[in-house]
Amino acid sequence: MIKAKHLRLLLGAPAIVLIFVFMILPITNMVEMSFRVPGAVDPFGDDYTLMHYTRVFGDSFYWGVLARSLLTAGGVALLCLIVSFPIAWHLSKASGLKAALLYALIASPLMTGVLVRNFGWMIVTALNGPLNETLIALGIISQPFRLLFTQGLVILALVHVFVPFMVLPINNALRNIPDNLVEASVSMGASRYRVFRDIILPLSFPGIQPGVILVYVLAVAAYVTPALLGGQMVTYMPTMIIAELTGTFRWPLGSALAIMLSLSTILVVGVFTTLTWRLMERVRA
Amino acid sequence: MTLLGPSGCGKSTTLRCLAGFLEPDGGEIEVDGQSILATPSNRRGFGIVFQNYALFPHMTVAENIGYGLRLRKCSGSEIGTRVRDVMSLVKLTGLEHRMPREISGGQQQRVALARALVLKPKLLLLDEPLANLDARLRDEVRWLIRDLQQQSGITAFYVTHDQSEAMAISDMVAVMKKGRVAQFASPREIYQKPVERYVADFTGEANFLSCRSLEACGEGRMRISVGGAELDVDCVASLEPGEAAELLLRPESLQLATLGEDVTFRGRIVKSAFLGASQHCEIALADGGVLKLTTPPNDPVRIGDEVGIVVDRSHAWLMPEGTE
Repeated sequence: MIKAKHLRLLLGAPAIVLIFVFMILPITNMVEMSFRVPGAVDPFGDDYTLMHYTRVFGDSFYWGVLARSLLTAGGVALLCLIVSFPIAWHLSKASGLKAALLYALIASPLMTGVLVRNFGWMIVTALNGPLNETLIALGIISQPFRLLFTQGLVILALVHVFVPFMVLPINNALRNIPDNLVEASVSMGASRYRVFRDIILPLSFPGIQPGVILVYVLAVAAYVTPALLGGQMVTYMPTMIIAELTGTFRWPLGSALAIMLSLSTILVVGVFTTLTWRLMERVRA
Repeated sequence: MTLLGPSGCGKSTTLRCLAGFLEPDGGEIEVDGQSILATPSNRRGFGIVFQNYALFPHMTVAENIGYGLRLRKCSGSEIGTRVRDVMSLVKLTGLEHRMPREISGGQQQRVALARALVLKPKLLLLDEPLANLDARLRDEVRWLIRDLQQQSGITAFYVTHDQSEAMAISDMVAVMKKGRVAQFASPREIYQKPVERYVADFTGEANFLSCRSLEACGEGRMRISVGGAELDVDCVASLEPGEAAELLLRPESLQLATLGEDVTFRGRIVKSAFLGASQHCEIALADGGVLKLTTPPNDPVRIGDEVGIVVDRSHAWLMPEGTE
């Protein structure tokens, strides 16, 4: 018995070590760093101070960037949900080869490297790129429109790549809804809309909630896409933090910003979870 | 009425066509003389009770029952009253605020019933509603369904593969065979006067003896020769003299008798089982046939004994030879 118990602990050991080395240690280190004084030559000095926090929390510029990051991520999550639900619906009704094909198509955004994917977006959406050329050739627009280096493109590209993270959990939830429930409600007189609103939507929430949280967290932390497609005009928290860390070498300030971002993300997710708690309790299988 | 048949015979498909979940390939479905094929499911006004209850897991018992009323935009107070009334009818009072997963299977099926009945449907469709319940609950809910149906006067269309359930609950039974109705009649007629072997087999324990029909002896009666004896028995109306036929003898219409009495058949007991309220035994006849019969529990039954069998002629039934 004792042996079996030890063995089980041993199975968990790699995970524990991984989490400790790559999560607990770096975060501790980052928290400590955020209290350091700025260094004259080095990225940080020996003493501790609260100055970075007073600066970060006292400056409306940082709050603005934070708000943009959180709102953009929220928009991405919402759009992703709207785009993904019908896809998840089709996927949940498919089986066999059709399902396999759909799964592959849905996962396709993830099969390209992040740089290649974003360069693709840059080429397609450039002022004289294929998108503008096609639209002009079709006579839909007369002047090329600027999509590249706008917040809109950042959102579009993030929605594109995060769709799988939304589709898969919702697909799971939809598959768990017995057809009988739909038939029962229809027999009681429910229209298609009422079936969706009263039955399908609430019962798919066990997929919607994790999907929204997953996409939101990924979108808040996204760096490469905003950096490449957002250009210099649009600043997000991750791009600003990286700039502090690798551009200006103000590690303590960058750490304070990172902690500000982490805390506010946790807060948003916490509020979302609390608000949806009652619904989740009801639909919990 | 009940649709009775083995799995895969098309009874659930028929019910789903009625409900509007499936479109029939051909034919017509009429209610009160009007075709309903063009009416979508949600306007047919039928109540449906499913085998797996199909309760909405995210709604309380009361919300489940009141859902159809809410769809009909009834006022809150009316919904409250009607839900309360139907809940006391199905003996669920006190469970209003429970979630479906917090109540037993029997209670869940009663919620499903209440949910259908509260809308006063034109037709109540029940798809194997007892199949997921254990034996004791099955009886209880079966009686409840029968009582409610009688009280409310709603026509109920019941699908099952369980013959005893079908007989106990219905006024009329349609026995289905490979997508077609083999016989549509009262439970008594289905059991005692089946039109073919398939129906007889499906509705209970049965003995079949091949026999030759000799001559008609009155309306729906035939003289036959079977196992060395000649009998006058009731028969399927369409049967012609001389046709190969099968005699149906239900186990309870046979009696053991000592040899020498006026017996119809002679044979030897080859199997017996004591069942408590009765005994079951199998008798091998001289010509190779085997008869199953039920006797009172205290009849002396010993394997190997030579016995005679008396046939209750009013319960013997002659059918055309089975095609299976």
